[in-house]
Amino acid sequence: MEKTPLHPIERKVLASLADGPKLLEAIVASTGLLPDQVRRSISWLSSKGLVTATEASSTELKATGRPAELTLVEKVKEMGGEASVAYLRNAVGEDKGFSAAMGRAISAGWVEVKEGMMGQIVLLKDKEAGRSLEALVDLLKGGVSEASVAPEQRSTVADLVKRGLVERNESKTVSVAITQDGTEAVNSVEDQGFDRLTSEILSAVRATGVEVKLRPIDVAASAPAFHPGRRHPVKELIAEVREVYLSMGFAEIAGEAVQPALWNFDALFTPQDHPARELQDTFYVKGMRDESIARTGEVANIAAAHESGWRTGSKGWRYKWNVEEARRLVLRTHNTAVTVQATRDSKGAETRVFSVARVYRNENLDYKHLAELHQMEGIVVGEGLSLRDLMGVLTKFYGKLGMSGVKLWPSYFPYTEPSMQVMVYYDKVGKWLEMGGAGMFRPEVTWPLGVKTPVIAWGCGLERLLMLRLGMDDIRELYNNDLRWLRERGEIASTQDLL
Amino acid sequence: MPVLKIYFSRIQRMSGLSRERVLDRLPYLGLDIEGTDDESVRIEYNPNRPDFSTDYGVARALVGLVGKETGVPEYRVSAGRGRIIADRSLAKVRPYIAGVVARRIRLDDETIRQLISMQEDLHNGLGRKRRKVAIGLHDLEAVGFPVRYSAKAGDFAFAPLGSNEEMTVAEILARTETGRAYGHILAGTEAYPMLIDSTGTVLSFPPIINGQKTKVGKGTRGLFVDVTSTDQRLGDEALAIVSCALADAGATLESVTVSYARTKVVTPDLTPARMKFDLRLAGSLTGLSLSKAEASDALRKSRLDVDPRGFAVIPRYRVDILHPVDLAEEVVIGYGLDKMTPVYPPSGDAGRYDRGLASVDAMSLTMAEAGYNETMSFDLVDDATLYRNFGRSSEARLEVDNPRTAEHSLLRDSLLPSLMAVLGRNTKNEYPQRVYEVGTVFRRSGGRVVESTSLAALSAHSSSSFTEAKMHLEALVRRQLGEAAETRPAGHWAFAEGRCAEVVVKGVTIGHVGEVKPGALAAFGLGVGVCGFELGLKPRTRA
Repeated sequence: MEKTPLHPIERKVLASLADGPKLLEAIVASTGLLPDQVRRSISWLSSKGLVTATEASSTELKATGRPAELTLVEKVKEMGGEASVAYLRNAVGEDKGFSAAMGRAISAGWVEVKEGMMGQIVLLKDKEAGRSLEALVDLLKGGVSEASVAPEQRSTVADLVKRGLVERNESKTVSVAITQDGTEAVNSVEDQGFDRLTSEILSAVRATGVEVKLRPIDVAASAPAFHPGRRHPVKELIAEVREVYLSMGFAEIAGEAVQPALWNFDALFTPQDHPARELQDTFYVKGMRDESIARTGEVANIAAAHESGWRTGSKGWRYKWNVEEARRLVLRTHNTAVTVQATRDSKGAETRVFSVARVYRNENLDYKHLAELHQMEGIVVGEGLSLRDLMGVLTKFYGKLGMSGVKLWPSYFPYTEPSMQVMVYYDKVGKWLEMGGAGMFRPEVTWPLGVKTPVIAWGCGLERLLMLRLGMDDIRELYNNDLRWLRERGEIASTQDLL
Repeated sequence: MPVLKIYFSRIQRMSGLSRERVLDRLPYLGLDIEGTDDESVRIEYNPNRPDFSTDYGVARALVGLVGKETGVPEYRVSAGRGRIIADRSLAKVRPYIAGVVARRIRLDDETIRQLISMQEDLHNGLGRKRRKVAIGLHDLEAVGFPVRYSAKAGDFAFAPLGSNEEMTVAEILARTETGRAYGHILAGTEAYPMLIDSTGTVLSFPPIINGQKTKVGKGTRGLFVDVTSTDQRLGDEALAIVSCALADAGATLESVTVSYARTKVVTPDLTPARMKFDLRLAGSLTGLSLSKAEASDALRKSRLDVDPRGFAVIPRYRVDILHPVDLAEEVVIGYGLDKMTPVYPPSGDAGRYDRGLASVDAMSLTMAEAGYNETMSFDLVDDATLYRNFGRSSEARLEVDNPRTAEHSLLRDSLLPSLMAVLGRNTKNEYPQRVYEVGTVFRRSGGRVVESTSLAALSAHSSSSFTEAKMHLEALVRRQLGEAAETRPAGHWAFAEGRCAEVVVKGVTIGHVGEVKPGALAAFGLGVGVCGFELGLKPRTRA
């Protein structure tokens, strides 16, 4: 049979019986439990055979007064073993039964009476007079069971009862004794313990201070997997990049994903027959155009910059610019489509802005190419900025992202001059890696927008950096949304000295 | 970007530079090293530098960069007797032609490979896939001048390159590889450009194919090059690049005279171009304070020069110099980018987040805290995911033109389909699965595309319910918007009837919550119930 674990109250009651059987009241006194709790637990324990409870009736004797003969003997002793009757009558008090006390003392052989010169005197006959009666009365003061009175004292007690000096009360009592099983249960190391705690058990622990056992379990056994909620690693890295930009005094800007080709290409001095503008590389929204674009204002300046350089001193691309091409809606191929609008909005005043957002390329997906990815782009507009400032900003920016070195190689973008390819040294892989592009906006870009202040600009893909952080070699895994991977992937390593 | 293969043995012969030195310097010319083996290196060059389409062009720049041979390379073109008569019949189709004669050239296999690769790159880049410029190389000995450039009809026949049989123009367009690839350039015309010599031999049918009779081979000792174009400047630029490469290959160049109806043009023109050099601009752009002499030394290393009047001298093959800022870059390259030191421009202002993006981010974080896994899917999806699996009308679809795959053809107007696709791909993984996404959704409004940010979440497990979705939704709205969310019965294409509500906050409907309808669960291959919601988030401000 499955043994039920010992309740803390049961355990405490059993322990109090270790030194012998006890009355219920004695258990209450020694455990400090409430009588009700003790009564209930005794009933459980006896049903489990761990204790036996015996009900018995008993008579209790309790002294309620002091026999006058003891006072008498005491007074005689005080007077040196000899006192006048007159004195004793006065000291004991006639009303307290002096005469009867004299009679009892004499018949017990404690004192004798003689005639003296001044009348009758009482003499002590026995030095031990009254001592055994005194002891009996003291015992009875605390109340004793009648059964425990020694046989030679029974007549004395009966006399005291008769005289009204001892009360005799009959009562029923429960005497509890621990059984062999009970002793074993207390000492057993095989107590299974509780499977789970209930609020009832816990309140008993609180009341008794007795620790309860919990059933041991296989703590080496496997537990069901737990998966805390988690952000996507791309979003985690975006958060880090945003923080880096912020720490360098950049303000974040947000722009639309769908842009007229005007902002994605034309404003960036990308000629209308440039291969990047072809359908096979760029997503155009089918059948939609931004009809509000007309060859007036800055758009006219942009058009003229393409055709002949406008007032910038450039030769331009020397072809006929077509407004219809600029009206086509394109899924932005880079965030420069957004930062160039911030350049215009700056009106040439000192500006630092950034955008970390999604860009779109009409690509077939493979281990290093995606059709949608993220770029982190920044620009600084400011008087006197040069290529060396660009190097300084890049060194700081990539440094905060964990890159210990930055070097520039010449490159080409239609909208920047000089144009640079950024190489960064990444300690984790111990080599130089290509990390995006950088440059200074061409006059053909900024002048048509009313900005003649130098603008340094750079951008790079985010996924590549993330793949390095996570040690991945297939970019598609980032967007497979395999829950197992999302749940169990490693942390993106944190960077040095943010902020 | 175009790729060029260079053999170390050749580049060493041309430049005198060791393999290591070549590999070390190539990136400082803007050339990306794609890969190397013992004998060769594959480099990627930027499309603005078609002069890098042969190893000759690369060697020319390398010797300048290391200071072995600086300044503008000299190319001599002697007056030749070759003549091209350009007919007015092609004025509307492909009006311009230019040419050069290259004598005493020694063509080994690798030189031929370099020339053909250059021709291809020029066709694709500068020539915009032959639309604007096409180049033909011919064995000079098989060419009889004058050569006539005129229009022929579709039934005109000759033996095209690679064929000994005569074919008509129509057959060539229909049956040859290049005919099919480039025939569209001539679509809509009956005037087919034909280059025919004095003996009636067809040299070329530009921009489609050359004739077989003037085919260039190993034994060829002289070349005639024709360049036809729709833009005379581009044709001249292409010819200049080809001519310089041929001269570097050891050929002697002779000019060719083109006779148009009213003018005569002698080609190629290899005299350097000039542009005012602005030393101050170069200094301020680069951040280098260079003297005139230092700047001109740097330019010479870039194979340019400065003349006594302060004009930059630019070789004809450099077709990328549009503005004085381009000269500044040449200064930087000649000076050496690796010698430049950075300076950091201090910032006065503290940075700040875009408030809209920051609040969207906070909502996203709350979802993760609620135990949901963030997923990221593409904004472009396929028809089944977005419409068909939900039995939903695709009338308001926003398509992209010419996507490479149908998987990325439609702009999504809701994140719920992407999340369902994610659950559909994860049926082998442990449940419960709780996923969410924050992203951009797109819809058509009038003639415009309107974008907004959306947050959607789905919970998939055997006991998912409307109550669970509502519970999570309410917690999110309470914490992030500080408001109570009210749910009112409503219909939605993603959710089951009677198990769907619109989410109303302060009297405004901001989204829907519900249990995904069984048909959609089946369509995405799910074997458990899914509940969730989607909310449209209005970024509070937009910078």
